[in-house]
Order: sequence, then C-alpha cells, then structure tokens
Amino acid sequence: MSTDKRINLQQAAEIVKNGSSLTFSGFTIWRRPTAIVYELIRQHRRGLHLIEVNGGPQTEFLVGAGCVDIWESCWVGHELYGKYGANLSRKVAEKKILVEDYSHAEMLFRFTAAAMGAPYAVTQTSLGTDIHNPEYDVLGRAGKRDGKRIGKHKYIFTDDPFFDAGPQVLIPAAKVDVAILCVQQVGDEGTVRASGQLYSDTEVARAADITIVMAEEIVPEAYLRRDADHNTISSFEVDYIVECPFGAHPTGMFGKYDVDGAFLKHFFTTTRTQEGFDAFAKEWIFGLDHIGYLEKLGWPRMLNLRANTALNYKPRK
Amino acid sequence: MSNYASPEEYGLADLLCCAASQQVQDNEIVFAGTGLPMVAIMLAQKTHAPNLKLIFEAGTLDGRPPELPTSVGDARCETGASRSTGLFDTFSIAQRGYVDLGYLGGAEIDQYGNVNTTCIGNYLDPDLRLTGSGGNPDINSFARRTVFIMVHEKRRFVERVSYITSPGWRVKKWPGGEWVHRRELYGAAFRGGPSAVISTAGVFGFDEEDGHMYLETYHPGKTVDEIKELCQFDLDVSRVKGETAPPTKEELYFIHDVLDPDEIFIPRVKKA
Repeated sequence: MSTDKRINLQQAAEIVKNGSSLTFSGFTIWRRPTAIVYELIRQHRRGLHLIEVNGGPQTEFLVGAGCVDIWESCWVGHELYGKYGANLSRKVAEKKILVEDYSHAEMLFRFTAAAMGAPYAVTQTSLGTDIHNPEYDVLGRAGKRDGKRIGKHKYIFTDDPFFDAGPQVLIPAAKVDVAILCVQQVGDEGTVRASGQLYSDTEVARAADITIVMAEEIVPEAYLRRDADHNTISSFEVDYIVECPFGAHPTGMFGKYDVDGAFLKHFFTTTRTQEGFDAFAKEWIFGLDHIGYLEKLGWPRMLNLRANTALNYKPRK
Repeated sequence: MSNYASPEEYGLADLLCCAASQQVQDNEIVFAGTGLPMVAIMLAQKTHAPNLKLIFEAGTLDGRPPELPTSVGDARCETGASRSTGLFDTFSIAQRGYVDLGYLGGAEIDQYGNVNTTCIGNYLDPDLRLTGSGGNPDINSFARRTVFIMVHEKRRFVERVSYITSPGWRVKKWPGGEWVHRRELYGAAFRGGPSAVISTAGVFGFDEEDGHMYLETYHPGKTVDEIKELCQFDLDVSRVKGETAPPTKEELYFIHDVLDPDEIFIPRVKKA
C-alpha cells in the first residue's frame, strides 16, 4: 500500500467540493495557503462555508470571487494594510453572503471542542454583548441549523452546575470538512513542523475531516523524527501534502518571508467594487499558475521579502 | 517641568501613545493589539514598566521584540519570548485570569463603555459591515482593566452603539436583553472592565458602581465644553483633573528613534 500523500495544487483544490466547509492555518496576514485559495478560484468553486478562527486576505479573495455562501468567524481585514474586509462588506450589503459572528476566543474554543471530539465548548467570554443576541442568529434565521454539520443552536445559556461560578455559554464544535494548512516543513509521511507562533493550526488540523498541508518544502520524515519534540502535528492527522514554495504570498511566513504589505494595500484599495475585484482576479489569478504568479511578482520583489534565517524576519535596516 | 516637550515638538498620536503608556504599571501582564497600543506598551517597557509581561494574541508569551511588529501574528513577536505557542494558550491564559490590562480600539462607544467594531446601522441590514469583533470582547471580558484608544467624533461617542461588540460596565443579559451591571453577569469571572478611554480629545474614566463614563483630563488645546459637545450622551465633567500631560522628551526619543523610526504607526511631526 502506498503511503505517498503527495498531491499538486490542482488536486488539492479538487478535494474541496462545491458546498464544502473549509478552514485554514495562520492568523490574519500570516501563513495563509494562498496558492490553493487562488486555485479554488480558478476552478470556480461555489457555495463554500468558511469557518475561520479569524479571517484575512484568503477570505477576501474567496468572497470577492463569489466562492463563499456562509462565513462564520470574528474578524476580517488586512491589519495595517487594510482596515476591514471590503469584499465581505460589499457582499453583506448586497445580501449575497450569510455572516455568523462569534468572538475570537469563541471561535478558537469551538475548534478546540471539535479537535477534542466534544460536541461543544463552555466559556464566559463576551457575556452581555450582541454577539449573544438571539435575534442575531443568522444561520438560524436562514433555516440552516440542521444539527448535522451546523449546530441546532448558535448558543445555549446555562449556569455552572458544578461550582456555581455563574452564567456560562455553550458554543457548538466547529465541524469542518477540510482544513488547508500552510507551513514551513512537512515530512513525506505528513509530520508537520511549523515554526514561530502556531496560531490555531493544531486545533484546525485535528478538527477537520480532511487535512491538507501545503509546505515550503517536503523533507524526509527521518529528519523530522530525530527531534520529535520539535514537531507540531502528527503524521496520521495529515491526509495530503503539497510542496509549494512562497505559497503563502502575499501573507508572510515566519523564518521564510515577510508579509507583502504593498500587495495587500493595493488589493484593499482597488477591490472595494466588484469591477475592481474582477480586474485584480484577471491580473493575478486567472490565466496564471503558481509559477506564472511568482514570475509576475519577480525576483527583486521576492528577495526583498526574504527573511533573515537567524532573525526569522526581514530586518528593516 | 522642562522635560515635557513643547507643543510644536509632538503630534496627537504621540500624545495618545504616551497617555496610553501611562496606564500600565510595572510587573503587569498586558495584552496589546496591533497598532498604536503596541508602541504604547513597548514605550512603557522602555520607561516606567521594564518588567511588564507582553502577550500577543496570536501566540507569544512574554515577548521582547527588538523591532516593532506590524501585527500580533508578525514573526517579530516571537523574538526573545518565554514561549511561542498559539491562541489556545493566549485565550486560556486570559480566561484563567492572568491578564491585568488590555489595549483595544473601536468605531463607536457608549457612556457605559460598550464598544462596537462590528457594523454601523441595523445588524441584520447594516449600512456598513466593519471588521468584526476579533479578540476585543475576549480581552475585555477577562482582563482586570481595559483601555480603549479612539478617534473622538460625535458620531462615535453615542447614546447607543449600533451593536455591542465588547462589554462595558452595563450590558445586556441574554436571552432577554435586560440591562444589568457587568458584575451580575460575569459571576466568578468578574474581574473589572473598561478603565479608561483615551480619545483624540481627552482621557476618560468610569464609575465602577453606576458604570458611567466621566472626563478625567482634556488634551492641550481642547476645552471641557468642546468635549461635552463631542458626546451624544450627557458626559460627566464633575471630576476633571486638568490637562493631559504632554509627552516628555525622553518618551518622544523612544517613540521616534527607537520603537517606530520608520513611522509605521506614529508619524513624526513635520518641522515647519
């Protein structure tokens, strides 16, 4: 039996079906699997349900391209390169997308519950806010709460039955079909070694039914297994691996390359309208493959983003 | 007080940064978000609070970045940290009660310190969808004190925010939506709440019993009446202490020559 988990970008995108629920590695503008996200757009995927601990450029690319019907998360933007998700805002105004808001910690705890195999998590965060307003249960209002992949309730309010610590909120596990991760190294049997901050990568990888890991490089398992305590995700939690250098661009990767702030700023300022997004997609997504994209970016630009391997970032001077 | 900078030597962002920096005490554990709060907290580390412990939401604990990170997920956050991990650790640590102070922002705020970063207008049919909550309510729920840094405009200091993203001193008890004091709702998890608002007009505090906001100091060049006029609610001005202290020359040196020389978050004042 073959244990080869290697696939290419096109095959990775094909695993995500129309209507799939999907999540990603990374945090805002860091370590997002952009190369596969672009490929999903090229393949015209539709009806996606994104469930993200937090959003970022990957959300905006997919939402702008019309791939997403439901977005469950807490935040989208480009940090200092773009204050909010202009494509999401436009689709909300046009009522072309359903948005379900949880808080950041709630999203994280929801994935933690799914990763533990538990049906829900309990927390006291965000009590008293409109995040818990029953009128604002958007998926409930849309009749989407089937109790299968989407929980029957957005929240359950209860009181601590064990220690009388007061009001608690129960939040449903984030059950998700596919997680796509973008990391520095993966072994040929799937062991992941991510470096820098780990964000919520271990939780989302374990929560998903299918986990795809795209890495800057695929390395021999034996190399990673010499220092097993440095590894992040175990081999059998990973179903497919893809090698793709600079696959996170324009987001950054610890130890490899910084965020391409100019690219994000340009994206943010030029894609507030659908015409603007379509022009961006025509220029940077359609008609290109990953190598074509890198060629278009060019060596000077990529070298300018390259991290110093001792510092793990590109020093400003 | 010759160590204070003169008005032409600093800008509004400098003033806010220094006022924010003053909110932290030494040895405290602080959650700092992207932007000006990051500079403020690193300024405190360089001046009066060298032993503060810095948590970046994306996963670094007690970090000492040598170069200003551009966001909390930045590779620079990890340098010198006690641990580099992920959100499960940072949010668990917050819920467990370790965090003394959080710095946050918002688009709208009401007199009880409820803050909105989610949408303008009716949530179900908004005039404008904003960035969303992020960790704002989480940090604000769990920290002993939270400081909000905000642009001061009348449309932002409102009677009722469009959407309560982050909990103030008087909040809604769901599922019914009755207004209650935060203490009542948070039970054993109650540790405090918004302690200050630093706006582009002044510095504000909160009465922890009835939960309302009051003016503490007004920025140089602003007046109490002017600030009252910039709030849609009836601002309590009975506890005003005077003018906000301007930045010191030492603070300006750290901001512009050490922490943010590239003017990523804080622009230099242009010499005439």
